[in-house]
Amino acid sequence: MPGPLDGVRVFDLTLWMVGPWASTQLGALGADVIHIEQPAVDPRTLGAGVPPTIDGTSIGYMTWNQNKRGLFLDLKSPTDRQTAYELLQTCDVFLINMRPGAAERMGVGYEQVKAVNPDIIYTAITGWGEVGPMRDRPGADVQAQYFTGFWSVSGAEGGRPEVYRHMAQIDATTGNVAAQAVLMGLLARKRTGEGQRIHVGMLRAGMALQSGRIAEYLSSGELHQPQGSAAFATAPDQAFQCQWGDWIGVSVSSEDEWRRFAAVMRESEAEAEGINDLATDPRWNTNHDRVARRSELAAILQAGFVQRPRHYWMLRLSAAGIPCGYPISFETLQHHAQAIENQYLREVETSAWGKVWTGGAPWEFSDTPARWFGACLPGEHTGEILDELAARKATTDEPAPVVGD
Amino acid sequence: MPGPLDGVRVVEIAEGVAGPYTAMSLADAGADVVKIEPPTGDRSRGWSPLMDGGDAPLFETLNRNKRGIVLDWSSQSDVDSARRLLAQADVAVVDKFGLPPELSWERLNAAGLVYCAISGFGPQGPWADRPASEIGTQMASEATSSLGNLGEPPVRHGSDIGSVFAANNAIQAICAALYARDDSDPANPTGGQRVEVSLFGSLIAMRSTLWVALSNPDEWWGFHLDSYVKPPDHGYQCRDLPIYFSLARIRGRGFESLIDELGMDWAREHPDYDRLRTDGAGGAGRYAAELKPLWERGFAHFDADQVIEIVERHGGWAFPMHDYERLSSDPQVEAVGAIIDVEQANGTVMRQVAPPWDFEGTPVSMTMRPAPRLGEHQAEVLETS
Repeated sequence: MPGPLDGVRVFDLTLWMVGPWASTQLGALGADVIHIEQPAVDPRTLGAGVPPTIDGTSIGYMTWNQNKRGLFLDLKSPTDRQTAYELLQTCDVFLINMRPGAAERMGVGYEQVKAVNPDIIYTAITGWGEVGPMRDRPGADVQAQYFTGFWSVSGAEGGRPEVYRHMAQIDATTGNVAAQAVLMGLLARKRTGEGQRIHVGMLRAGMALQSGRIAEYLSSGELHQPQGSAAFATAPDQAFQCQWGDWIGVSVSSEDEWRRFAAVMRESEAEAEGINDLATDPRWNTNHDRVARRSELAAILQAGFVQRPRHYWMLRLSAAGIPCGYPISFETLQHHAQAIENQYLREVETSAWGKVWTGGAPWEFSDTPARWFGACLPGEHTGEILDELAARKATTDEPAPVVGD
Repeated sequence: MPGPLDGVRVVEIAEGVAGPYTAMSLADAGADVVKIEPPTGDRSRGWSPLMDGGDAPLFETLNRNKRGIVLDWSSQSDVDSARRLLAQADVAVVDKFGLPPELSWERLNAAGLVYCAISGFGPQGPWADRPASEIGTQMASEATSSLGNLGEPPVRHGSDIGSVFAANNAIQAICAALYARDDSDPANPTGGQRVEVSLFGSLIAMRSTLWVALSNPDEWWGFHLDSYVKPPDHGYQCRDLPIYFSLARIRGRGFESLIDELGMDWAREHPDYDRLRTDGAGGAGRYAAELKPLWERGFAHFDADQVIEIVERHGGWAFPMHDYERLSSDPQVEAVGAIIDVEQANGTVMRQVAPPWDFEGTPVSMTMRPAPRLGEHQAEVLETS
């Protein structure tokens, strides 16, 4: 069964992570994504050379170029540029993540591509936007994390804010938002019959990710201070230590959940001051009250949690419909039924680097399933793609594309 | 001009962050969204902080541009009303738990409907029926191991990353399924389907680079591997504020001149001086953590703005580390229009984050309608359904 984007073709002129992540998603949804690399590409520069490597190739390239076919094109060469235009005639989507102006210099600005294919969904991704004093600055995940305040809301209770140490979340978020924008563009074209140019930037995508927290600051004027595992908006909503030292994360986010949670605590027969009266104690009347006295409440609950093992709490809280969870490491996740049966984590074969573990498709479609396959080598499918173009040329009346500079 | 999703009819039966964020994005893009709330309202109306006489800012943001009605699942006629609304819709965005069985995908039997179910842990597997939250899924997906210190209490990411990642995936799935749908008879589309996303799955997908890195690395270093087990990173502290910087682009004499201008002559005598030059700084530096005290000793004599200017002038990269206060007054944020004014029902103006896309052919309106008061559009929506 083909995926939802079966029949859609993407000209993927992307590098590093943001753009390639977007096209990885489109490929998983069934689009034929043709990833362009320079013919003489130095393998050490693939994926920006981001360490570590597997057999000498950056794991960045390997992660961000799954679900694609590889094509070599040198857009500085007139012959290859002509091939690019012929290929663009067959594409639905053009995707690029370079600084403003770079596409035009390579002969693939919107006006140039539109001249070849007016129906194209042309999507440009930038770091900081296409206007403003920072438009020409380099943009990557680290800078965007720091600049957008993504680092400023996390940290140990009472400590300084700290950076999320897996540097890819704003890159991937922007890639996801760009894939979203492409899909919306395709939907609009389905209705209007017209292509268009779309822009997405890391700054706005990174801020949109934080819409709730930023709105809270803008409305209250109060900056969030790090508070460990605890939520800002709800309480109790944090990690507690159980018997034997294991941690459990528990979230109560509505008044109904609070009443059920209070019953679980009372029925546990844990002995702690105030633990039997949670539902009736006026100090905990509303979520707002509980957030205002969060530490006081947490101390009472912690005294109860430590008296029973985590397994006890997982059973009782789950049965009461209270959201809970606990830390799971990668080695365990690799074999965890929940990750494996949903194919959220999977092992795939790659063209040159053996089997690698990777996240899989984050969606399940009942009728048009997504797919997932390992990264291609740069240019791996050049012969095959050029043959397809030649075959098309032999059977179509469409004139060869002519593009002025 | 209408947005890219003009004409798409959405029914949302969801609370909190993931579902409402999904439907907010669809509404921002031009879809007509009807939000169904229980009689007690979406739980996030009561989340902190509360605005003067109103709901939570998070609720107001994630529910802008929607119409709102109240239905009570203990009333059969209300369940029937929801069925009718769903039968006429293009898209359903539902929280999987607490939904009456009649409103499940299987029972609705609506040929053209794209039915997006959001859950904590995904449709398959032993935890398919477990409710979930940010902290529960951040822990289960190993996300909390990228914060805090090993062996100390877990630290969550303070933003609702699991929920918003899931929402971003939900938007993709919904749009892809609408694209695959057969609209040849616009009044009676066919080929709708059920799509599922989860917080757990979305968090795992976002850590994909790390999973590949852990597969069989040639060596163990770089910010995809050793950073995530390093101690907390607070940036490089200057006299007033922290910054981030990188020397990767500095060539030739630039480095020595930079050391001079920062008044760091003393560093030349330090046994790590050569490393300071070649390893640079920032998360990518192999010895960044060890070298940080040297840089901070130099930076302590300057404000962040000055260090940024000096580093940039020597060919490096340097960026401020903003909190939300500095972010919201930054000239670049203003230039790209990342924060918009939304007029509220009581006439006050609330500032919110703008949608992240620019569609040149089908522009998205930046004039937002405020979130609905509880049941505000009851008569209007139910009379026409």
